[in-house]
Amino acid sequence: MATAQQIRNGYIDYVLTNDEKPKSVYSFAKKLKISESEFYDFYASFSSIEKGIWTELVSETIHTLQQQVIWVEYSARDKALAFFYAFTEVLKKHRSFVAYSLKSRPGNFSTPEVLSNAKALFEQFAEDLINEGLENGELADRKFLSKRYKDALWVQFAFIVKFWIGDDSDGFEKTDEAIEKGINVTFDLCQRSPIDNLFEYGKFLSRNGNFKEKMGL
Amino acid sequence: MKEQEHIPVTKSERSAKFVKTGFQIGGNYIKHYSKKLFNPDLNKDQLNEDNATDIYKSLSELKGSALKIAQMLSMDKNILPKSYVEKFTQSQYNAPPLSGPLIVRTFTKSFGKTPDQIYDKFVLKSTNAASIGQVHAAELGGKKLAVKIQYPGVGDSISSDLKLVKPFAFRLLGMSEKELSIYIKEVEERLLEETDYELEVRRSIEFSEACRDLPNVVFPCYYPKLSGKRIITMDWIEGLHLKEFLRTNPSQELRNKIGQALWDFYNFQQHELRAVHADPHPGNFLITADQKLGVIDFGCIKEMPDDFYDPFFSLISSNVLEDKAKTIEAFRQLDMIHASDNAKQIDFYYNAYKEMIALFARPYTNKTFDFSKPDFFQQLYSYGEKVTKMPEFKPARGVKHFIYVNRTNFGLYNILHELQATVKTDTFQPHHK
Repeated sequence: MATAQQIRNGYIDYVLTNDEKPKSVYSFAKKLKISESEFYDFYASFSSIEKGIWTELVSETIHTLQQQVIWVEYSARDKALAFFYAFTEVLKKHRSFVAYSLKSRPGNFSTPEVLSNAKALFEQFAEDLINEGLENGELADRKFLSKRYKDALWVQFAFIVKFWIGDDSDGFEKTDEAIEKGINVTFDLCQRSPIDNLFEYGKFLSRNGNFKEKMGL
Repeated sequence: MKEQEHIPVTKSERSAKFVKTGFQIGGNYIKHYSKKLFNPDLNKDQLNEDNATDIYKSLSELKGSALKIAQMLSMDKNILPKSYVEKFTQSQYNAPPLSGPLIVRTFTKSFGKTPDQIYDKFVLKSTNAASIGQVHAAELGGKKLAVKIQYPGVGDSISSDLKLVKPFAFRLLGMSEKELSIYIKEVEERLLEETDYELEVRRSIEFSEACRDLPNVVFPCYYPKLSGKRIITMDWIEGLHLKEFLRTNPSQELRNKIGQALWDFYNFQQHELRAVHADPHPGNFLITADQKLGVIDFGCIKEMPDDFYDPFFSLISSNVLEDKAKTIEAFRQLDMIHASDNAKQIDFYYNAYKEMIALFARPYTNKTFDFSKPDFFQQLYSYGEKVTKMPEFKPARGVKHFIYVNRTNFGLYNILHELQATVKTDTFQPHHK
């Protein structure tokens, strides 16, 4: 009897050896010496295997992070940074597969189909830490915009993974820099800034629009 | 982090800085030639002065390795005017502090362990910025430790800064690419060495071992097993930085004691080891409670080959300078007088450099030297300013070793001046062929 694990490993092995998907579930099942129905017991299609792998990578990352003693002491910003550092570490073990999985899907990276489940999981994680940041005042609560913070983090997710795939520096040091600088910029934008004050001031002026006349200007 | 808002950080911003300087200098030329239209007698003094002001203004606004390079290239002019020296001594590689997670990551990458697993205690918030990294306090086995962590990407930024500086430096310093590249290479080598923390640990151990018997100088113990490419672990030295030390109003006796330790430390290295700690930045020293000089950074070491050491120090510690033929011979060996120079030029450079060497050698001429005297430094600065304005000194002269040897010795003189110390200058004599 096959297990999900076996099918998954068989699939990874296949795509990395052949640099393409198996022609059909039938041929793939035959190669693994299992029946087609056994395959369908676990997965609906090849892409659902890939989706599953991505989700596991994200959940593995979150799991390791939450085990660290220091995790609870981290601010939202630190948590986001720690996530990406840990995530690239987890990805390292599956670099070939990650490169294959994204390469075989041309077009804009922002949300390829294979990442849909991982995205949902990541967004849930991101939302938790954003809410935490909003509650303790680390991040600025802005109408409409606060809801988009998690999208900004997802953009970083996509960017960092892409950057990492193209990174040929020793120990992926450049990716570390990209994470450090990118996440800091994202959080700088999400915290209270001169723009907020400018906006507030603008609102004040428009509410007191007749001040010109009052001052006799 | 706030105070860094005005420092040009990205490559494009920094190049913008240089471009601006280029424009300004272009503008100065336009100003000059339009004035000249009406006044044909106008000479270039005003122009040179305008240029120099703009160059230094833009140099002092730069931070990071770009500044270090610019700073050292202008050291080729041997001595900087006082105000620039002050600006430059504050210079450091200015990067935002590393985030907690990145520090943890740096450790797990180097050792496979988090700082908590390595040390009994590790303070995630850094205590100081080091030149290309930051310092954290830690504890292990009851010992207080200093852990230096390097910013990622420093090496890259040095190389790209150098590429940036090059084309502008040709123009700014009036050197040709060929002349300049010798100096740039020298600076690049040293700067890149500074980013190699493994090398730094090896050298720190070597040098602190070699200098062990010097009186009143102390070194931290280094821990190679707890150090790596981006991390150095050493003992925490408790002490005051020079500025803080001076605020405590130390007695003249104590000033002399610290000054003497500093003098001995440098001259022992120069004359006995022929390799010297080439970064006499006040931040690299601490004065301990038991009145000793603590040396905490061996990132930058300049080795002096014989073909530089012998002619240079023969000028300083013997009576070669009284013999014109011998002096010119030494200047030739040091590339300060070129084979292609005509008799008039030889005479000019002979006189100009003789003046410089005489100034440089002044502390060596007596058994003791009082560095508190302002007139010596006045002469140094005015010589420096004079030279910067002389068109004859526009093209580069002198072997590449001058960059760091001058920086080291004038840096040392400056610190001793700040200390207002009187030191015995005959403790470690040059010995040359």
